[in-house]
Amino acid sequence: MKKTHIVLLILIVAAISVLVSAFGNFSTYETFASASKQAGKKIYVIGYLEKDKEMEYDPKKDPNHFIFYAKDKAGNMNKVIFNGEKPRDIEKSEQIVMMGYEDAGTFHCSRIQMKCPSKYKKDMVVEGKSS
Amino acid sequence: MDTQFIGEHLRPGQLGHFFVITSFVAALFSTFSYFRAVRTEQTDPLASRSWLTFGRSGFVVHVVSVISIFIALFYIIENHLFEYHYAWEHSSLSLPGKYLLACFWEGQEGSFMLWTFWHCMLGLVVMRTAKGLETRTMAIISLVQVCLATMILGIHFGPDLKFGSTPFLLLRHAMQDAPIFSSPNYMNFITDGNGLNVSLRNYWMVIHPPVLFLGFASTLIPFSFCIAALWKGEYQTFVKPTIAWSLFNGAVLGTGIMMGGAWAYESLNFGGYWAWDPVENASLVPWLVLIAGLHTLLIYKSTGRALSLTFVLLLLSHLLVWYSTFLTRTGILGKTSVHAFTGDGKALTYHLLIVIGILFLLALALLIRRWRGLPRIKTEEETLSREFWMFIGSVILFLSSMQIALSTSIPVWSPFAKWISGKDFAPPIDPMLHYNNIQVWVAIITGILSASVLYMKFKNSDGRVLAKRLGITALIGLVMAAAIGWGQHITMWQYDIMLFAACFGIVTNIYYGIVVQKAKFKKLGPSVAHLGFAMVLLGILLSSYNKHAISFNITGEEFNPGKRTAEENAKENSENELLFRGVTSPMGDYQATYLSDSESMKGKDKIIYYNIAFEKRDPKTKEIKEQFSLHPDAFVNSKGEGVLTVNPSTKHFWDHDIFTYVNHIHGGLLDKSKTDTISYKSNTVNKPGDTVLLNGGYMIFKGLDRKVTDARYTPVDSDLIICARFTVYDNKDKPVKDIAPIYILRNKREILHIEDTVGGMNLNVRFENLVVRSPTDVSTEIMVKQTDSDFIVLKALVFPFINVLWLGVIVMVLGFFISLGNLLSKEIATR
Repeated sequence: MKKTHIVLLILIVAAISVLVSAFGNFSTYETFASASKQAGKKIYVIGYLEKDKEMEYDPKKDPNHFIFYAKDKAGNMNKVIFNGEKPRDIEKSEQIVMMGYEDAGTFHCSRIQMKCPSKYKKDMVVEGKSS
Repeated sequence: MDTQFIGEHLRPGQLGHFFVITSFVAALFSTFSYFRAVRTEQTDPLASRSWLTFGRSGFVVHVVSVISIFIALFYIIENHLFEYHYAWEHSSLSLPGKYLLACFWEGQEGSFMLWTFWHCMLGLVVMRTAKGLETRTMAIISLVQVCLATMILGIHFGPDLKFGSTPFLLLRHAMQDAPIFSSPNYMNFITDGNGLNVSLRNYWMVIHPPVLFLGFASTLIPFSFCIAALWKGEYQTFVKPTIAWSLFNGAVLGTGIMMGGAWAYESLNFGGYWAWDPVENASLVPWLVLIAGLHTLLIYKSTGRALSLTFVLLLLSHLLVWYSTFLTRTGILGKTSVHAFTGDGKALTYHLLIVIGILFLLALALLIRRWRGLPRIKTEEETLSREFWMFIGSVILFLSSMQIALSTSIPVWSPFAKWISGKDFAPPIDPMLHYNNIQVWVAIITGILSASVLYMKFKNSDGRVLAKRLGITALIGLVMAAAIGWGQHITMWQYDIMLFAACFGIVTNIYYGIVVQKAKFKKLGPSVAHLGFAMVLLGILLSSYNKHAISFNITGEEFNPGKRTAEENAKENSENELLFRGVTSPMGDYQATYLSDSESMKGKDKIIYYNIAFEKRDPKTKEIKEQFSLHPDAFVNSKGEGVLTVNPSTKHFWDHDIFTYVNHIHGGLLDKSKTDTISYKSNTVNKPGDTVLLNGGYMIFKGLDRKVTDARYTPVDSDLIICARFTVYDNKDKPVKDIAPIYILRNKREILHIEDTVGGMNLNVRFENLVVRSPTDVSTEIMVKQTDSDFIVLKALVFPFINVLWLGVIVMVLGFFISLGNLLSKEIATR
């Protein structure tokens, strides 16, 4: 066996093991219900803004604290706290992807991505902070 | 019965469409002729000559048609012919001339045309220079042109099946259901177009897409040379042109990618130049594979080894460009990307899959057919040979690109993974960490390899000389890394190793260029490119590792105890800061003041600039050491249904950048919804130390005072006069002003007030009443009026040493061009 082949083999084995170990990095899309079963674990929830419920954002008190209600794809409503500014035009979003964790009936969200209905507007993202 | 529409200009569209068809047919004809020329090469050289002439003419006709399509579409955009959907959707009357080109490639069809156009230009060069390989390379280039031409054909088969989409579609055809298009004079109502998205309206949009697409387009040339070599079964003549084209490709695509990064950094608010976003990754992956392929090709040229891997890599690089087109154009990335194009639906998905399938199968079939016959070298390479380590470096680059490709392709493979595991896979929670944890090792290995590989010779090297040279440079690199690591507080050990790799690379490549190559400019290509690469690594490390926010907010913790848990407060790194108009707040080492806002019109959109003054004072002498202002802006996008968009503003220093953007706006020119609260609120203080809460701060009661020294008061003998002393603090606990509103009892009946104010906080304070129950029990009623002041929420980030990164990219690209120039000048000399 040539040296190159041995090195190649080692590299490929290393690459595969890295890939397998990094596979755990991939997150999953959940609903609020399945998120509450794994409280504290950071996951993604796809949902819609609940427009009937009041949104709370008072930047004078704290510009990094925004509370709203969202419905997930299964139709369950949940309170969401976002540690960041209120995303611009969240009222107009037709879908929101929330990244965070569920804890005691509240979804703590550190990143929000919105899809806006306009066909001209590209997907908008609002980066919160990931702690 | 067809309606006769008034005021339409149908001629340019008909011409344009004619040229679309012509370009398609001509490319098809050229492909066929070149193919016939190859087939008759041996059997009938005379026929082969004429097929070659046909092929060439076909390609020239194709090029002329593509340019004509360009002119026709540009004519439509420039003359604002809004009866065409493309002009209506992407341009407007008020759009400045320089952006007319930009709206050309804002849309799907236009960017396909840009890609086609570059293929045409490159194809012409190949046609003139490829000599013995012309027939085969041009057959492939024409074939790809056929595929690209189908993308803008826009032919319908039945109601559902659409084959490509034409840029010459009429507005009334694009929106057939709208009732307005049934009236013959509908053009009277279409007075203006949608215009270019304002966030795309900057010079980056004018220069970045052409460069990036030239980079994408040039991957076709190494691809077609590799196919040609495999097709011919002859593996010598393709080497030199392929190296030259790969160098060109590496330089242009590299520039295009970093221009994208610079654009994101300069004018979008993603908070950085690289976010491992799928769209960014999709352009990086082909480049990494191309660079790996370039290196293995150099191995093959000097030693005859690694030919099979070279073919795999260079063929893959172009296929990956098609794959990234598939990822970014079809909308498949959907919820995972920040700036993916909105999808053109299913038709485009299948269309692109078919094209990728054809090209992939073509490459694969040829490779399999020739695989056994590819020249190989039986002996083993020496451990101290350049080819051995270059080979390893190339494999590492390739594996790194595959990790990025696999992670980026989540939306592609997640349906299969769901089918198997039942889990709905999503991108990593922290993509930065996911990629960085792995890519830091790629950076370390490729950094050290690119630092040392030039010191090794092909076939074998003198170990003693090598050890001596590398030993000295490694030592200098280590000292440099230690100094930087200590100075910049880089404490994570992986990144310390990366820092060493980068410093080592900088030192060795400078040393190599000056000492070993005696600074002979022509030969400097590789060491300059490697030096640039090392600087890029250093720049990335320094700017990302110590990137930090200088805007922090503490208001919430002060006044809302119990609202959030302490854990939550601690966990959150609040990077936004509230700035009231006219109130100075500390921001990092600076004092920042939101002074004013001003508006300016950009087409139909009103842009509001926020003037924020920064100053740094010497802590002892209080003298101003540094002063500048930044103007982040915000506007309501008339195109995106009134969506608010913001652009950052950055102050550049030689060793760091201060990057700011507005996150929230209240009041001022933009937000007219603000209502002034003019009513007074009553507060009662009883003893010194009592606090009255204010918007953006608070005030502490110091006590009552009979001695009044206010200039506004003219003493009257019968007056009973008293003032209440307060100190007003802002929300950073910094005292703003001492105030003393006055209470006057005149003639024991009449009550007068003299208010005190704090201008910066829009605060009015009135001493309303005094209730004396006993000498020690006195209540003071204070009325507070605070008009709702304007404020913005600002995010400010510091990127240290980001200029090292930009400079590194320039140096690296320069290295590519020096090598290319050297290669071409040799070529000319041997003629």
